[in-house]
Amino acid sequence: MTFEEFKNAVIAEARQRGIEDYELYYAQYDAISVEAFRHEISEFSTGIEGGVCFRCAVGGHMGYASTEELSPDGAAALVRRAAENAVTLESDETPLLVAGGQTYEAHKPEEYPLPDAAGLVRTVLEMQDMMLGSDPAVLDNSQSGAYVSANTVAICNSRGLDLKHTSRSAALMAMPIVGDGQEMSNAYEMKRGDFAKIDRAEVIAKAVKKAKDSLGGGVPATGAMPVVFSPEAMSSLLGTFSQAFSSEMAQKGLSALRGKEGQTVAGANVTLVDDPFFEGSAMMPFDDEGSPTHKKNVIENGRLVTLLYNLQTAAKAGKATTGNGAKAGYASKVGVRPFVMYLAPGEKTEEELLKEAGNGVYINMLGGLHAGANPISGDFSLQSGGFLIEDGKKAAPVKSFTVAGNFFTMLNAIRDIASNLEPPRGGGSTGFTSPSVLVDGLTVAGK
Amino acid sequence: MISKALCERVLKRAASTGADYAELFAENTLNHSIEMVGGKVDAINDNVIAGAAIRVYKGLRSVMASTVDTSEEGLMRCAQRVADALGEGKAEIAIHLSEQVIANIHPVLDAPSSVANRRKVDILRAASNAAKEYDEAVRQVTGRFLDVDHNILIASTDGVYAQDRQIRTRLAVSAVAEMNGQTQTGSCSPGRRMGMEMFDGLIDPAAVGREAARQAVVMAGAGYCPAGVMPVAIENGFGGVIFHEACGHSLEASSVAYNASQFCGKLGQKIASDKVTAIDDGTIPNAWGSINIDDEGTPSRRRVLIEKGVLKTYMIDKFNGRRMGMESTASSRRESYSYTPTSRMTNTYIAAGEDRNEDIIASIEYGLYAKKMGGGSVNPVTGEFNFAVDEGYIVRNGRICEPVRGASLVGKGSEIIQKIDMVGTDMDMGQGMCGSSSGSIPTNVGQPLIRVSSITVGGR
Repeated sequence: MTFEEFKNAVIAEARQRGIEDYELYYAQYDAISVEAFRHEISEFSTGIEGGVCFRCAVGGHMGYASTEELSPDGAAALVRRAAENAVTLESDETPLLVAGGQTYEAHKPEEYPLPDAAGLVRTVLEMQDMMLGSDPAVLDNSQSGAYVSANTVAICNSRGLDLKHTSRSAALMAMPIVGDGQEMSNAYEMKRGDFAKIDRAEVIAKAVKKAKDSLGGGVPATGAMPVVFSPEAMSSLLGTFSQAFSSEMAQKGLSALRGKEGQTVAGANVTLVDDPFFEGSAMMPFDDEGSPTHKKNVIENGRLVTLLYNLQTAAKAGKATTGNGAKAGYASKVGVRPFVMYLAPGEKTEEELLKEAGNGVYINMLGGLHAGANPISGDFSLQSGGFLIEDGKKAAPVKSFTVAGNFFTMLNAIRDIASNLEPPRGGGSTGFTSPSVLVDGLTVAGK
Repeated sequence: MISKALCERVLKRAASTGADYAELFAENTLNHSIEMVGGKVDAINDNVIAGAAIRVYKGLRSVMASTVDTSEEGLMRCAQRVADALGEGKAEIAIHLSEQVIANIHPVLDAPSSVANRRKVDILRAASNAAKEYDEAVRQVTGRFLDVDHNILIASTDGVYAQDRQIRTRLAVSAVAEMNGQTQTGSCSPGRRMGMEMFDGLIDPAAVGREAARQAVVMAGAGYCPAGVMPVAIENGFGGVIFHEACGHSLEASSVAYNASQFCGKLGQKIASDKVTAIDDGTIPNAWGSINIDDEGTPSRRRVLIEKGVLKTYMIDKFNGRRMGMESTASSRRESYSYTPTSRMTNTYIAAGEDRNEDIIASIEYGLYAKKMGGGSVNPVTGEFNFAVDEGYIVRNGRICEPVRGASLVGKGSEIIQKIDMVGTDMDMGQGMCGSSSGSIPTNVGQPLIRVSSITVGGR
């Protein structure tokens, strides 16, 4: 059964049950991915996946059910399950759907030729040969990879909404393992875009350097000291604590920023932006409920301008949606999420930040963010890796230490922000990115 | 489900270009969860996952294709995609499937997938109310009732034609407490490879709610954990996450086969202290991480990974086993058909030792007692790991003193397992979801109370 046939079967079933308000959300993900080990392809996988989420208003609540089984029986069961789930719900949310006929900003995603399976295989093998021969420290257990994917989202509902968006991307990955006879170290670099234009040698060199840099690392001393977070490290912190900017979390009493809109929550040098049309992103013109998306400042010069809203949380707060209705997967309830969230860049280079720090640590790896950081309290204590900063310069590598502090306190203790903002690394519709930042008041635990 | 005859046709097509192994994995899964926020049912997630994946090997190369279309035409098309991707060769293997009767060592009495929402909501409400009523400092309670009915079929040119139904039930409660302007959280989330009978005497929903609230209240009144290197006593149950991260992942063939593990080439060698015997056992009846067969159709088994400090075996799947020249240990697992399976853990624990709990605490002059652990992660190449301490206490002069928050432990796996110098007698397990390249799968971690003589404690 095609999606169109399935959709018609679901709508017929809903009408028969007297259901007037409903929505179908369809997601499809096609991908090919390839990995190489030594000088051969080790894994090749290809898949077409996708599912349909149906939600409908019954008894004053919006019930959800989802399936990958696009069959006539599947259609009937889907409507029945969604209706049953609706009558179990008890929250004070009222069912809301976006009406058709909205105006959407048109931003064309970057288009480039996508490789076919044979092209992927060829590229990965070339890349692997290049990496294995690039540096004597690179061990033969290093791996390369590549993928090409297409994501399609379609939403239609009983209010005349009928939307569809596809984003495509291709990416190359270098995963070198290096050794010095004493120990091994590894790193990962990825670059999305047109394979013909990606400088593979540069991707490889960057990954190999990163892996080599952490060989032979020591452990820093324990104490409070200035910390410079690399763009990668700061982006992952931002991603971990981003749920604090969700109105849904705030309304449920699970965000420290509840009731703080309009107030100062960060230093005057902090501006935090959410931009659905950030260069290289999926460029989603609509969110997961079909509301138009737009760029906005969440924090502007330290002041919390707005939390992020979907239809439901906006209605509760007496506001308009910010177009941040989002599902964690096609089967999930609509929640709230940023598109591309980033810390606005400053003027200085990273080298100038290091000079300003004087003595401290530079952190370019944070581990265990799912466990060592509490998005509700803001507390974090995280495994870290990087370099010592001595006399304003990167010095010896360090690892196996932790950095601890509180995210909300830290927003007021950012001494400086660099200018080195890059597109987020992941290819999905949600991403986080940041320039390097210099922070005071954090504690490092080493030896 | 798919007939044996159709499986044979599909495998024949998949192997038609020279594969030396072909496998079909099909699944139909119902994932259901009910979420409660502040005592009210807030969301229900109800999803049918249905599809198939076909995989072939030729030597050390693996090719997989997945599809949501499990009709005969859909499966044959998928098989052709795999055959085409492998290349141009001739069929080399004969295919004879024989149906395996798999002993069900994890019987389920009352499948949650056929139970009305109302019964699950009642359990959730009992847990949520108990958490809310525990203390006036409790500000918010969220809870989740999750159940999974995962039906799999595996057919392979090794002759396997096997099916399994894997039912899991879990109750997860999280509480937020506030004291003097400080907000902290607590959680408790027991689960079993069982149905609704899990709540007939084994798990008391109200006790789950109270435990989440207790932890939140204790931590809301706690100061920050100091930073430094010190001895740490780690409690049983989810404390076993230390072995899971520090050692377990590095013993998976997915790292070892690629010479990308700190424990490569160490079979038969002493890698841990004498006190450490570690086991990965997928056969524990109705345990969270248990299986009847792995995702390549190999019957589940118990593996002694480390015996008195000596490395005995790795955890191996068929594909990575080829590279290592070793047999599968029934360790192949995948979240769903859309992931390429690889070697993973099941129920992994440090076996009970002989030290008394009171002696372990009394041996610490100044250190940390980690009563409840959070999650963690590891880089198997370097062995550098981390995990969070959700509820910790300072130990002074052999006595447990004030609670501390915000601690994490970091180290290098191969060094830390040599520093486990005391192992208690009362082994217990805790439930987790383990994320890796083949997706998120249920695993148990476990241990008795142990002492690590010295480890870096991240605090401030």
